[in-house]
Amino acid sequence: MNRSRLVAAAIVVAVLLGAGGFLIGRFSSPTPVVPADSSAAAGFLRDMQVHHAQAVDMAMTIRDISDDPALRRLAYDIALGQSNQSGQMYGLLESWGLSQASSQPPMAWMSGPVIDGSSGDHGHTASSDGTMPGMATAAQLTELRSATGVAAERLFLTLMIAHHQGGLAMAEGVLARTTVPQVVSMAKGIEVSQQSDIDAMTAMLAALPAG
Amino acid sequence: MSTAPKQTKAQRQAEQRAAQLETFKKKEAARKRNRILTIALSVLGVVAVVALVVTVIVINVQPKPDNSALLGNVQTFDNLEATHVEGTVDYTMSPPAGGPHNPVWLNCGIYDQPVPNENAVHDLEHGSVWITYQPDLPQAEIDKLKALTPSTYAVLSPFEDLDAPIAISAWGAQLKVTDPDDPALQAFIDKYWKSADAPEPGAPCTGGVDGPGKE
Repeated sequence: MNRSRLVAAAIVVAVLLGAGGFLIGRFSSPTPVVPADSSAAAGFLRDMQVHHAQAVDMAMTIRDISDDPALRRLAYDIALGQSNQSGQMYGLLESWGLSQASSQPPMAWMSGPVIDGSSGDHGHTASSDGTMPGMATAAQLTELRSATGVAAERLFLTLMIAHHQGGLAMAEGVLARTTVPQVVSMAKGIEVSQQSDIDAMTAMLAALPAG
Repeated sequence: MSTAPKQTKAQRQAEQRAAQLETFKKKEAARKRNRILTIALSVLGVVAVVALVVTVIVINVQPKPDNSALLGNVQTFDNLEATHVEGTVDYTMSPPAGGPHNPVWLNCGIYDQPVPNENAVHDLEHGSVWITYQPDLPQAEIDKLKALTPSTYAVLSPFEDLDAPIAISAWGAQLKVTDPDDPALQAFIDKYWKSADAPEPGAPCTGGVDGPGKE
């Protein structure tokens, strides 16, 4: 009798240890759990690629138009930097076996729950037409392409400052909603680099001759 | 004086045996109860733990929505050349879904006029999808296609002499449908938009050349 009870207890203990180990391993392993298809991490990686693509386009456009070495260098930095980051975002989704296409509308992930449980507005959600924060309109892009000289530079700086501010809101939004280490590290990098770009562009905009 | 009648030795022994038997039966019943309780609790514990593990797995590994079963009619094309050529190319499939193309890519977006094949194929090489429709498709259906077209890495345009109302193409893959509401269109986008099977996914889809009728 005592022996059968002992065996039962041993089985329970073994299963508990196994399951506990499994759960601890699952949550502490350096290889993270693959984020769900509808997770904030995946949504951020998809939408930020679209957001970055427009920054690359605008930066390449002004680099073709402007002859100001400082502005052309900044544009070069933004275009190559964001292009590289887009590739990293693409690669993360691929390595997790997640589709590049989203089953949800743009920015839907920003209305998901935040980690600390607050209902605070961590970053702004999509505007009513479903676009992302800070994105230039098609008309603004056309205007930029046909602009010249200081007017083009002023328009670029104005649009890109707004674009970066939108990018900051998205980075802040995902940091409030994910613990996936690769995404956390990327979002923090975006916060730092885009804030520094905003400071530089604000100074450049102020230094432009009035017109 | 004692009122109880004096028991015989044999009577006393019989009573003792009965009492012993009673005690033994009680102990036996208690032991049996405990055993059942132990087993029941063990089973319950194991079930609870298994349920917890399963729950964790299910919550964390939500499979992505799998609509690939809708892609049975997709045609695929292997061994496509990706050389840059000037002039027109005679593609083996229509609309073209890969092959030699113009050095300049077409800027992605919505077009209301046919676009040059050789520039559009360059977009497919960069991971875009190209949605084409018969020029006489009703406007309401074209609007549905516009809503379906991704905001980057996608071209929407009419296509002359298309042998189906709607075709969606990626590098090396193509699907033709009659209905803009056909869920296979979204399934195609899920699988082929910015596909890692395109030669250069993520290469630019802007900064090339505009075709006629760009929105």
